[in-house]
Amino acid sequence: MSEIDIKALPSDPLTDHEYDGIREFDNPTPGWWYFLFGATVVFSVLYLVFWHFSIGGWTIEESWADDQRVEFKRIFGAVGQLKPDDETILAQMNNPQFMTVAKSAFLGNCTACHGRDGGGLVGVNLTDDSYKNVKKVSDIYRVITEGANGGAMPAWKRALSDNERVILAAYVASLRGTHPATPKAAEGEVIPPWPTQAPKH
Amino acid sequence: MVEAALPLETPPSTARTAERRQSVAMESFSYDDDIVRKFLMVTVVWGLVAFLVGLIIAIQMVVPSILNYTTASGTKPFAFLAFLTNIQFLTFGRLRPLHTNAAIFAFAGNAIFAGIYYSTQRLCKTRMWSDTFSRLHFWGWQFIIVLAALTLPLGITQGKEYAELEWPIDLLIAVVWLGFFGTNFFMTLKIRRERHMYVALWFYIATVVTVTMLHVVNSMAIPFGFLKSYSVFAGVQDAMIQWWYGHNAVAFFLTTPFLGMMYYFMPKAAERPVYSYRLSIVHFWSLVFIYIWAGPHHLHYTALPAWASTLGMLFSVMLWMPSWGGGINGLLTLRGAWYKLTDDPVLKFLVVGITFYMMSTFEGPMLSVKTVNMLSHYTDWTIAHVHAGTLGWNGFMTFGMIYWLAPRLFQTQLYSKKLAEWHFWIGTLGILLYVIPIYVAGVTQGLMWRAFDQSGGLQFPEFVETVTKLMPFYWIRVIGGTLYFAGAVLLAYNVLRTWMTRPATYEVPVVSAPSIRPENVVAPSFKSRLHANTEFGHTGDVFLQNVQSAWWHRVLEGVPYKFIFWAIAAVAIGSALELIPLFAIRSNVPTIASVQPYTPLELAGRDVYLAEGCYNCHSQMIRPLWAETKRYGEYSKPGEFVYDHPFQWGSRRIGPDLAREGGIRSNLWHVLHLQDPRQSSPQSIMPAYPHLLDQPLDFDAVQGRVRVHAMIGVPYGKAVLEGQAKAMAEAQAKSLAEEIVKADGPKGLENKKVIALVAYLQRLGTDIAKPAPEAAPAVALAPPASEPVQTTARAEGAQR
Repeated sequence: MSEIDIKALPSDPLTDHEYDGIREFDNPTPGWWYFLFGATVVFSVLYLVFWHFSIGGWTIEESWADDQRVEFKRIFGAVGQLKPDDETILAQMNNPQFMTVAKSAFLGNCTACHGRDGGGLVGVNLTDDSYKNVKKVSDIYRVITEGANGGAMPAWKRALSDNERVILAAYVASLRGTHPATPKAAEGEVIPPWPTQAPKH
Repeated sequence: MVEAALPLETPPSTARTAERRQSVAMESFSYDDDIVRKFLMVTVVWGLVAFLVGLIIAIQMVVPSILNYTTASGTKPFAFLAFLTNIQFLTFGRLRPLHTNAAIFAFAGNAIFAGIYYSTQRLCKTRMWSDTFSRLHFWGWQFIIVLAALTLPLGITQGKEYAELEWPIDLLIAVVWLGFFGTNFFMTLKIRRERHMYVALWFYIATVVTVTMLHVVNSMAIPFGFLKSYSVFAGVQDAMIQWWYGHNAVAFFLTTPFLGMMYYFMPKAAERPVYSYRLSIVHFWSLVFIYIWAGPHHLHYTALPAWASTLGMLFSVMLWMPSWGGGINGLLTLRGAWYKLTDDPVLKFLVVGITFYMMSTFEGPMLSVKTVNMLSHYTDWTIAHVHAGTLGWNGFMTFGMIYWLAPRLFQTQLYSKKLAEWHFWIGTLGILLYVIPIYVAGVTQGLMWRAFDQSGGLQFPEFVETVTKLMPFYWIRVIGGTLYFAGAVLLAYNVLRTWMTRPATYEVPVVSAPSIRPENVVAPSFKSRLHANTEFGHTGDVFLQNVQSAWWHRVLEGVPYKFIFWAIAAVAIGSALELIPLFAIRSNVPTIASVQPYTPLELAGRDVYLAEGCYNCHSQMIRPLWAETKRYGEYSKPGEFVYDHPFQWGSRRIGPDLAREGGIRSNLWHVLHLQDPRQSSPQSIMPAYPHLLDQPLDFDAVQGRVRVHAMIGVPYGKAVLEGQAKAMAEAQAKSLAEEIVKADGPKGLENKKVIALVAYLQRLGTDIAKPAPEAAPAVALAPPASEPVQTTARAEGAQR
């Protein structure tokens, strides 16, 4: 068995090109190069036809709308449209699944101003018994929806759906009586406890 | 070697060639290596600057997480680092453009020029056409870089990624690039003494013509004073132009010139012939034709029409093999020379550089697939991808070239081969420690953004959670970046010491070569010995190159102006077919009646947003994906951006998307958050902008800015009348400032920059939910501050 000379110049035919001492082999383009290039071209044609010139494709907007239907059904399918009244909101406070969903919405949208635990930052403390624009739980829904204090509390009717605002109101109501790490001083007036919620302290 | 005109079908013969050589007059000349030395030196210097600024901004991303670290005794040992996050000239938003511009245009740019000036002269067997143009090019380019380094930290910017430089600098770039460099290069081709142009020159030609086209089109803007201008394009069209530019800057500034340099320096360093001439033809033309289409893959699922997005994806997928053609040709050139890698740092750098090129050009097509992009877009995955490309491919190719050139240019020995070996290993480790953790960070954040919990809510609703999670990876990146920078320091030291041992005067060897006359270029001199082969790859070559049994490409290589024409045609076709329909067909951007121009104050605030480089960390483009609308609100529509000169969709979410930021937080919150983000969000890594609360807003500029926007088609109506815009801006600023005072916020903000910025932020994404105006009003003012979101029509995103 002859040893392979790793230092040998390959024996392929050379072209007669020479540029500043650089030569070029006359090797063909590798066959697999053409094969893969052709494959990407074929894929591209099929992709284009399927997504833009056939009835099989769908748009990302349609796909989003499907997700929206599925998700609404998954979360609110059993209850349908929630009414933003005191009774409904108070009832949601005892729904652990909705409270988890609402907590997620709270953390995503309310934390910046009210703190993770509702203790208040730029926004008011949501855990004490004093409220500025709220007398009953449906007022919480109204404040979330329409905003308050000349825009200091923004309106969320565009960013959050009706049902989300109902369960968020319930979640905010449930924060009352909890003990945040760094509570902000009370603002507004002390109001009576929620009807079915006994004071925790 | 001279190649005389031979009749078709006649094989070259040594006797004939020799005979010809005698019959043609010999000419003597010398190469201009002084200009190459100049470019080589500044490449090293600007490389150090670019890497150092990159290292600083990498540190800026981790420093905020330790600022408030408190020891048991109550001291804050890292608090002094706060200067990295709150000096207005050094914030991430201003330094990041400096980093990208320095890396691309200063480091890679000068490396390209060094490589091109060295190889072109030798491949053409002539001195550069004009020594004066060479020097005008050199000093002009360095002047541009200095201007960039001064203006970017000052916040003077057009607000478009990788095209931040303001219009006077853009004009200079056009003059220096095409006027000095391009002219000099093309004239050198014209006076060459080598009949055919080698493949390296093809890539240089593609570089010169395409970069000119991209730069001129993307920089079209209307000036507003000497230091500011506004893109003539808006919204969707501006985004498309910008990424057509941005992607092809990668293609024709960071890929084609480096491929050309690879084709010269690889066979030189390996002392082996190039693997395949035919492959170089096939992959050159497929690369330049296909690359130009790929830009829209940066805009998947945005408000860009789906057809454009699809074209961007498909041409990226088809680009895989054309890109790999260069890699194959480079690596296979090493056949029979692989053993040389063990003791040659130059080849080590070149081989690893090409390897990173092949990895990046596989990853690129993969990332451009819409479904993959859905996850990767806006994440660090993109950052890891580009750094594999720039640190690995551009960096290592440059280093390899420098180590090869330095002893030849300085006519001495390399000071230390051992240091070069150290540079190689430190640099390689640095790249790995950069890209691997950042890939992990990218995928991690992408997955966190789309994660839902059991109940159907977002699992990580607080954006900052998805940032805090990345801190360990960002720390590893700092280590990787430090190593890469340290490697570059070794290079600088090595080059410096090499330079110090140069001879007192450089020898200037006299070269002689026979002249050629253009009219001699009539027929090819070469006929393949393989053309009877029926092997698959060969069949393709014959089909593509052997049309009418004439070696048409060989002929083309002898006629530069025809070659240039076809190169322009190759890049113009894709550009025209993608860009023209987007402008010409109205249905691409359906108008929304309720979308109105920004108020004069908001427009001023938008300039603050641009100057601070907010777009470097915040996107303004919500994609129609459930996780995204859940987090940010209704997805963005094309018609919402028709007054955005330039668009501000962004490409990376280091902070959250701001497309629907308007009205969801109070004005006071914004003021306090800008003053110190860690007041409201302790884990935030955003820089602090206390200076915005102090610096006065230039109300006198308000009128002119509105007028310039009116000039580029924004319907400002009576607001363009003298004095109107200023009065409107002052009234809105006053009302906003009063709101802030009423909410117990700081006083006296009505004439500060922060007021304008808050006004702009509060406007973002709100128009779509407003009622359409009855008659076309001159300009719709923002909703009064007291009612940030005045809506009657509910947005579809909320109808669940």
